[in-house]
Parts: sequence; structure tokens; C-alpha cells
Amino acid sequence: MNVRGALASSGVLSALSGWSHAETPMSYLHTYGPAGDPITQLGWGLGIVSIAVIVVIAVLLLGGLFHRRSGRVSGGSELAVPREGGGMAWLYAGVGISTVVLIACMGWTLATSAAISRPPTTPALTVQVTASQWWWSLRYTSPDASRTFITANEIHIPVGQPVRFELASLDVIHSFWVPALGGKMDVIPGQTNVTWLQADKPGVYRGQCAVFCGAEHARMALEVIADTPREFRAWQDDQLREPTPSASTTVLQGQRVFQARCAACHSIRGSDAAGILGPDLSHLMSRRTLAAGVLANTPGNLAGWIADPQALKPGAQMPDHLVSGPDLAAVVGYLNTLQ
Amino acid sequence: MPMRIVPAGLMTMSLMLCACSHSEGGSASGPPTTGLPSAGEMSAVPMGHVAGLTDSAALARSMPNPYGDDAQAVAAGKALYVKMNCAGCHAYDAKGNMGPDLTDSYWRYGGLPAQIYRSIHDGRAQGMPAWGAALPPREIWKLVAYIESLGGAYSVDGTPRNPQRAELVAPEVQAPSPAAASSP
Amino acid sequence: MRNFARMQSPRKSGLSLAGALLLGLLECGHPSQAADGPAAAATPPVPANNLSGATINFAPNDPAGEWRSQARDYANSRYSPLDQINSGNVAQLRVAWTFSDGTLHGHEAAPLVIGDTMYLVTPFPDMAYALDLTKPGASIKWTFKPNPSPLAIGKACCDAVTRGIAYADGKLIYNLLDDHTVAVDTKTGKEVWRIKMDNVETGATMTMAPLIVGNKVFVGNSGGEMGVQGWIAALDVGTGKELWRAYSTGSDKRVLIGADFKPFYRWMKGEDLGVSSWPAGMWKHGGASVWGWISYDPQTNLIFYGTSNPSPRVPVQRPGYNLWASTIFARDADTGMARWAYQTTPHDEWDYDAVNEDILMDLPIKGRVRKVLVHFDRNAYAYTIDRTTGEVLVAAPFAYLNWSTGFDMTTGRPIVNKDKEPKPGVKIDNLCPPDIGGKDWQPAAASPRSGLVYAGIFNLCMDLTDHEVGYIASTPYDGMEMQRQAAPGGNLGEFMAWNPATGKKMWAIKERFMTMSGALATAGDVVFYGTADGWFRAVDARSGKILWSQKLGSGVIGQPISYLGPDHRQYIAIYSGIGGVATMRVDKSMSGFPAPGGTLYVFSIHGDSVGAQSAEPAAVDDAAAPPANANQGKP
Repeated sequence: MNVRGALASSGVLSALSGWSHAETPMSYLHTYGPAGDPITQLGWGLGIVSIAVIVVIAVLLLGGLFHRRSGRVSGGSELAVPREGGGMAWLYAGVGISTVVLIACMGWTLATSAAISRPPTTPALTVQVTASQWWWSLRYTSPDASRTFITANEIHIPVGQPVRFELASLDVIHSFWVPALGGKMDVIPGQTNVTWLQADKPGVYRGQCAVFCGAEHARMALEVIADTPREFRAWQDDQLREPTPSASTTVLQGQRVFQARCAACHSIRGSDAAGILGPDLSHLMSRRTLAAGVLANTPGNLAGWIADPQALKPGAQMPDHLVSGPDLAAVVGYLNTLQ
Repeated sequence: MPMRIVPAGLMTMSLMLCACSHSEGGSASGPPTTGLPSAGEMSAVPMGHVAGLTDSAALARSMPNPYGDDAQAVAAGKALYVKMNCAGCHAYDAKGNMGPDLTDSYWRYGGLPAQIYRSIHDGRAQGMPAWGAALPPREIWKLVAYIESLGGAYSVDGTPRNPQRAELVAPEVQAPSPAAASSP
Repeated sequence: MRNFARMQSPRKSGLSLAGALLLGLLECGHPSQAADGPAAAATPPVPANNLSGATINFAPNDPAGEWRSQARDYANSRYSPLDQINSGNVAQLRVAWTFSDGTLHGHEAAPLVIGDTMYLVTPFPDMAYALDLTKPGASIKWTFKPNPSPLAIGKACCDAVTRGIAYADGKLIYNLLDDHTVAVDTKTGKEVWRIKMDNVETGATMTMAPLIVGNKVFVGNSGGEMGVQGWIAALDVGTGKELWRAYSTGSDKRVLIGADFKPFYRWMKGEDLGVSSWPAGMWKHGGASVWGWISYDPQTNLIFYGTSNPSPRVPVQRPGYNLWASTIFARDADTGMARWAYQTTPHDEWDYDAVNEDILMDLPIKGRVRKVLVHFDRNAYAYTIDRTTGEVLVAAPFAYLNWSTGFDMTTGRPIVNKDKEPKPGVKIDNLCPPDIGGKDWQPAAASPRSGLVYAGIFNLCMDLTDHEVGYIASTPYDGMEMQRQAAPGGNLGEFMAWNPATGKKMWAIKERFMTMSGALATAGDVVFYGTADGWFRAVDARSGKILWSQKLGSGVIGQPISYLGPDHRQYIAIYSGIGGVATMRVDKSMSGFPAPGGTLYVFSIHGDSVGAQSAEPAAVDDAAAPPANANQGKP
């Protein structure tokens, strides 16, 4: 396995898979942490073993097909099929090698299962993920109750540390999958499944719901962003911070519109908006995407989303609010202050 | 023999595909796509005096719930009933607590679909909050569909949806008849 | 406050003895006062049949025949020193007169009697009446109609009630449901001042009875089910100007916690715990309203009160201790600064408010007289707490409970039963007691004669399913779906006598329906209480034997009082009018459950009253029609 690990980390395999991680974020052929690496290595290893087996058998088969008979005759009678001694040797060799290889592969598979079932060290961080149609609600827990907070769709984790995920669903079966970091774990209503991930390299890792869960299943993405420990702490502190009140009349108007039209479903820490039906928006501008990975987080996209969510994600739980022009501009202006 | 297998197989596959096209997750939020007024039309509930005998009142009385008995709308309304904290005042079984019983046939402010819509949209004097800002018309109609499904409401022609209940309510307490309302 | 017990100088002993005898004679009709501090050499002798050794300070020592505040005194004793009506003659109680107040919501208050006038407040629309007790039938002197906003009706979790009025300085002061405190001139019935204290649009209401001490009136809000910000405030009696306000959640500055704050137990020590014991920002909708009773200790100038449950009522949404919800506070009456706090149910998961009354008494515990408060909590533990420090001296269950497996005296906390911790979507069967507790706001009464505390309690459980909820302003921030039913035994209510020194129930009367009325204890060794189905009973304070019962027009959830009329006759007054949380589905489905009502009943021996004589022979002429102010000559 050391050889294969070396192969994986040397980039040969990614070269073999042909594209960089940034270009194919959903590729699972190259992983970046101990929750996924053993699987990738096993995958490549079994792949190589399978190819080798195919090659060996093909060679033997072809050899057998095109083997010239020597045509020797012994003792007057000519046998149609020469009886050659030592055929059992082939059998013993073949079965023996196959058995050894298969047992080795089985052992490797079991070892891989064991390796990914538990994180190498006890996770210091637990994130409660609640999936609903079609977005991800996140609650960051902490032994200190006041450092518990809620956010959505964009998970930040510290690099090099395992993170525990407790998965719950509010409606149907979803599946939590970040291919570059680990395997899939179904999110099943009525129970809490637990999984873990660890990213060994800072970066953005895209995830996706991996079980068909309704009309917008294809637009239920998430991002896991691995930060250095200091960046992660700063992000946490930032999320806990309440937004500073603004003096601008447009922003205050936007806050009023938000409170009247949006607060029943959305929350902004520090304000009277504390709805739990839609994503928390306390620091919306710190996120890279909107609507669970569907849109890049730009003011234009934000305005378009609020104006007509059904056009961008038909069937989404967020209804068309028929917001007027001035109200829309005011709300977008307000949301833009939520850094 | 092999030639006949192919069309049979294609038919079977296409039948299976048709069956699969029903959304597996039960998308409870999508409105029925046919026969529904536009969002703008759905908000055109007359906002005049519902209690009086003006033309707009007659119009209000005659306006049915655009969702009718649609099961998905009722289910969506039931989910909204819990999510919007209606259950907090009217109880999880809608039999009332801080707020009145929504399953019986007594309606302080009228039990016709548009009257129930107005109560939700405008709020009412004894503490019913106004939802017109937070909930767009479609969502309010889904709530009305759920409330109507509880059996105490009235149809637009003034008849109770649940005839058994009507016997227990004095005639003058029921929704006024369309004949009285339609006088110009 | 009397210091007659200091007899230290031998030279003055003769004079002191004479003085003590004289004072003792004067004390005849009045119960003894609590001695000043544990060092007092000779506490007034506690009667031998005082089972707990409790003594009570009855400050402000109102006239014996009057009832000037809801709880009768600062200590919240609800004890009347009158003994014309006693265990020997209480069976002769009859209705003297009644008064219908025109409202039908739950009647939870008690009337006040000051001089020759009785003052009443009704539930919504919160009208006040003054009745002239010198007139036969107690006619109305004036009516005050404040016209509060009906919006408040739909925000009040537990019926549009009020729990009473306060009196000072020629003014009646009480709270309107729509978050105004109002002062009414007692002579004219005209409004003197009205102050807006909170916003009914956010779901806050006010239902509690204010407490007046000196020139301050203390008031608090309701709304623990609505995600409000709970608070207690002191207003100036003369003008209504707000003197201080202490919130129940938030920074130490908001909660008025400063250098003097010395909580006894560890989990309440720290900075800004009203913020840090909640997830980020959740203290802002933390509930912890102040809708119950306030008591006052004049020796230390501290007020005592409790806060409601934390919001939302779904605990998984708010990990942490959730301070300062479900907490008993001791605060300086002048500044509002907290002296100590004790959280009865940390991280309350079942809506066990700490708002029930704190009865102040001096109690010998383990050989030493302690200054305590006695508190029957919603969580079904009866607490005897040192009111100078907040240390729990006794904590014993008084009602059936299974949410906790016991009380740990070293940590000062109940031990939680993990099986009864709610998780959203999962139904828990038979969680006891239910949200309304082993006892709710209905106040207990204490007798300095028997040393016991008398209370109407519940015998209930609930089936509970939690649902996660969002905060939507002006809607409930609640999430508890529940069904309440009887606990083992099948009776919904019970009236009991409790020994606060030992934590033992001395006797109990099981009632089929809930016992949600206040209790009244009297010097005649009779205690009074009422049931939800409308029975008003008189019970022997020592044996628990029911001596008299009267069925009233509606259920009884009010507070009985006793007073002397202008004819020097002792009367017992109680409201009937079912409502509040006594109208649960399980009650309503049982036969015998009453209809709503709104009538005050006044009882006397033989039903005699001013200007009206009973048919039964009395010791005076009965030939002529009695004059209006006839003194019927009863001793």
C-alpha cells in the first residue's frame, strides 16, 4: 500500500485521470484526506490488479489459441490431441495465485473499511447537518453553548483535523457526498447517521446530494472549504459576530422589508429575524454560492434569485414573493451588508 | 423470435420510464401546473368589506379556492400550518387553544374560502397576526385548502362542506345564501 | 419590626417584663412577629402544636380586618388573623351576597378590602369595580373601564386573565393585558396614570398582580411561550415613572447583575451568563418572563420572584443552561441589583417555570433557625431555600414526577432522567409532571399556628412530542405538542398540607378535578380552597377534614380572602369563573366540568351581612326591617 500511496500522492494517478481537481471538482479518483484516500488507493489498486489479471489471462488465452502443436508422434499411433503431462501444474499455479491475490484483495478491502470507519483521532469539531429539499442546514456545535451557531450550504473545516458530521433529514432520503474527501453517507429521515471527513490540503471541495430526492435534486450542492486552523477560527468568530447596525436609510428600509417578508423563514443573528425554514443568512456575503450551489454569490444573482426563485430552481420551497422593484433593491442592499 | 423481443422490450422499457417520471421525493411544494390562475390573479381577492352586501363582497363570496381539493395543496398547507406556528395558537390538531377551533362550523369572520383567506392575510382584531407580507397568495391559498379539508368551512355556494355539521349550527350563523348577496 | 425580645440588662428586667406582658396583651389578636436575627435571645414562643416551628413576619401589618394586597403581606402568607369563623362554626357558612362582574374569562384574582370598600378587577377587559360594603348587597361605587386592546387576547397563552390588583396611597394599581400598568384613584374611579411597559405586537402581555412596597410598584411581563424578552420593573407609585428594569436574559448590565451578586451554586457564577449560556444570539428571544408572584423581606430590603421557562420550548434548539430562565431571583428593592439567584430547572426542557410564590418564613432546620423562602416549583419539587444566600436546604417532591430521579444536594440540582428528555419528532409517553407542573401559579397559604403550608396541586402527566420551531414575531415560539392526563391515582387535583421544615406532606385531599385556586389560611384553623368543577371547601387546618363545601356557579381558580365588614362580621370572599389552563381537554370531557362564569361569592356565618339577616334565629330582634348599617352584635 505504500507503493500505491506513493503513486497517489505523486500525482501520477491524477495525471492518469487526466484533469486537475479544480476542473473536475466532483472527481472521486483523487482524494485529499484519510476518509477518502484508502478508498481511492484501494480503487486504483484493485483496478491495477484487475488489469493485470486481464492481461495475464489474455496472454494465456492468445497463447493457447495460437500455440503450434509440435506434431511429435510416439509409438506408431497418432493422437488427435497430444496428451501433454504437467497440465495440473497450470491449475495449481492458477488457483493458487488467484487465491492468494483474492485473499490479499479481501484483506486490503477490509483494512480499507476499517480505516475509513473511524477517524484517526477523536474529532474536535462536530457539525450537525440537516438536509431538506433542496439545501443543507448546518449547526456548528461547541462545548461552549454560546459558540453554537447556524449557517447553511457552505461548510468550513480546519485542515488536517477530522470533523464529525451528524446527518439528519427533515423530509426524504438525501445523501451527503463530498467526492474529493470521502464516500457517500445517506441522510435518512427518522435517524441520525454519523460520518467524518478530513481535508489534508486547504481548498474548496464541492459536494452534492447523491440520492434522488425530488425535482431539484440536481441542484442540491454544497461546498466544504478547508481552512488553516487560524483562518477557521477567524471564520467561526466572524459567523458568531452580530452584524453592525447601519445608518443608511436604504439599508434600514431593506431591513424593514426583510423583517416583514422574509423573517418568517430566514434568520439573521442579532435581529428579530429567526425563522428556521430557510437558510440562515447572517453572513450571506461570506458565502461563495447561493441556493445550495446553484448560483455564484453576486448581487445580480442575488436579486434575480429573490425576484423569481422558481425560474432558477423550479419547485424550490422559496416562493415567488412578488417583491416590487424598490423593495427588491432595498433588500439586496441590506443583504449586501451581511458580510 | 428475437425480432419480436425487441419491440416488446422497448414497450416495457417505455412503460417503466413513464412510471419513473413521477417524482420520487414527493415534491410537496410544487403547485398543480394546469388550470391555476397566475400569481397576479391569485392575489386579486377583493379587499373591500367582506361582511357587507356590496358587489365586491359578492365577488369575495363567490371566489373559490383556486387549489380546490388538490391533495398536494392540502399537504403543503398542513406543513405550512405547523411551520408558520399556526399550531402554536390553534393547536396541532386545529381544535383550538389560544386561537379558535378551526374544525368546527362556527366562524367569527366567515367560513367561505375568501373570508378565511382574508382572515389569514389581514389578521384579526383579537390577535390573529397578518400574514399578507410574509406569505404570498399561493401559500395562503394552500393554508386555506388545508383548513377547508378539516371539514368546518363552507363552499362558495354557502353550503357547509360537511353537511353533518350544519345541523348543529343555527341558520343565521351559517354563511349567508348567495341569493341575499347577489342583490345589486 | 419589634425588638421586644431583647431582655439583656438584669437591672431593667422588671420593667422589661412588665413591658413584655403589656405588649403580649396587645398582641392578643395578632400573630407573633418574627424575631430579629438568629441571635435573638427569646423568640416569641412558638405554639407547641406548630409542627414546623415556622414563624412569619406579617409586615406591613395591615389591619386584621382588611385585605390590602393579593398575598395579604410582603411574606406572601395569605394568612388571615381573623378567627370568628373557625373549625367549630364553619359548617354554618352561607352565601351572604354575590356580585356578577359581567365577564367570562378565567377569574384568577382576589378582591381587596380597604376600609369599608371592596375593590375588584375582572379578567379582560380588565375592568375595576369599587363596592360599598356598608350598603346592603354591597352596591357599586364606581366602575373603571380601561378599554385595553383586544389584540392582547390572542397573545395570552393561558386565557385573558389577570391575577390581581395592588393598593397604595389612595390608588389601585394593576396591569392591563395589553402591557399597560394603570393607576386608578380609589375615591373617584378615575385614571391617574397609565404607562406602556411592553409591546403587545411582539406577543408580550401582562397578567401578574403587582406588589407595592413603599413608593414602588413592582411589575413584570408574560409571554414565555411567545419568545418575548422577560423583565421585572419598579415604577413610582405616584407617577408611574420607571425607576429600574431588570431583564431576565442578556448581559449582566441588562440583567442588573453587579458586584453584589453572590449566587450560591457554581453554574450561576460567571460573567454575562445571560448571553453565554445560550447559542449565539438566542437570548434575545429567550422568554424568562415574570408573570408570577413577588414577595419582599423588609429586613434585608430584598424582593423575591421567579422567571418563566426559556424560549423556545424545544430544548434541542438552545443547548446551554439558558440563564436566567426558570430562576428564582433575590433583588434589592431600591436598585433592582441582583443579590443571588437559583435556577430551579437548569436547561429547562419541559416548561417548568420558576414563577410560583416564595413564602417567607423563619424556620428551624437541623437545630438552627434559618431565614427561608418556601417555594413549590412547577418541576414538582418543594424547596426550602435560605433567602439570604440562595442555598437549598430542603428539596422534596410534592407531586408525582418522573422527569428527575432525585435531587443532588451537593450540586444543588435535580438529577435529570435521560429517558424523559424530549427530542424533536419523538413522542414521550407519560412525562410527569406536564408543562403546567406539579403546581402552577395558584398560591399556597401558610399558617403560623400549625406551621404548615397549604396548597392546591396537580396530579398530572403528559404525552409530549417536540417540533422544532422558528421565531416569527407575535406567534408562539413554542413547539410542544402535548396531551395531558391524570397521573397514577386518576385524580387530577389534590389539596395538601406541607411541612416545610421536613419536606413532608402531612395530609392530602384528592380531588377529581384540578385544584387551581389559591389557598387561604385563617386563625380559626380553617383553610379554604376551590376546585375546577366549582366546589369551594373549608378544611380543618390540622386534620385535613373537610368541614364545609359549597358548589359555586362556575369553577374556582381565584384566590379566597377574608375580611371584617363594617358590621364587624368576618366574611370569606372568592371569585368563581373557570378559565386559565384549567380548561384542558381532559377536564372538559369529564362530566361535571362547569361552564364559564364571573361571579364573586361572599360567605358569612348563616349568610348574615350588612342589612340582611338570615332566617335562622339570631340573638337580636327580627320583627322590624333592619336599618342599613345595623351592627348585628356578633362578637
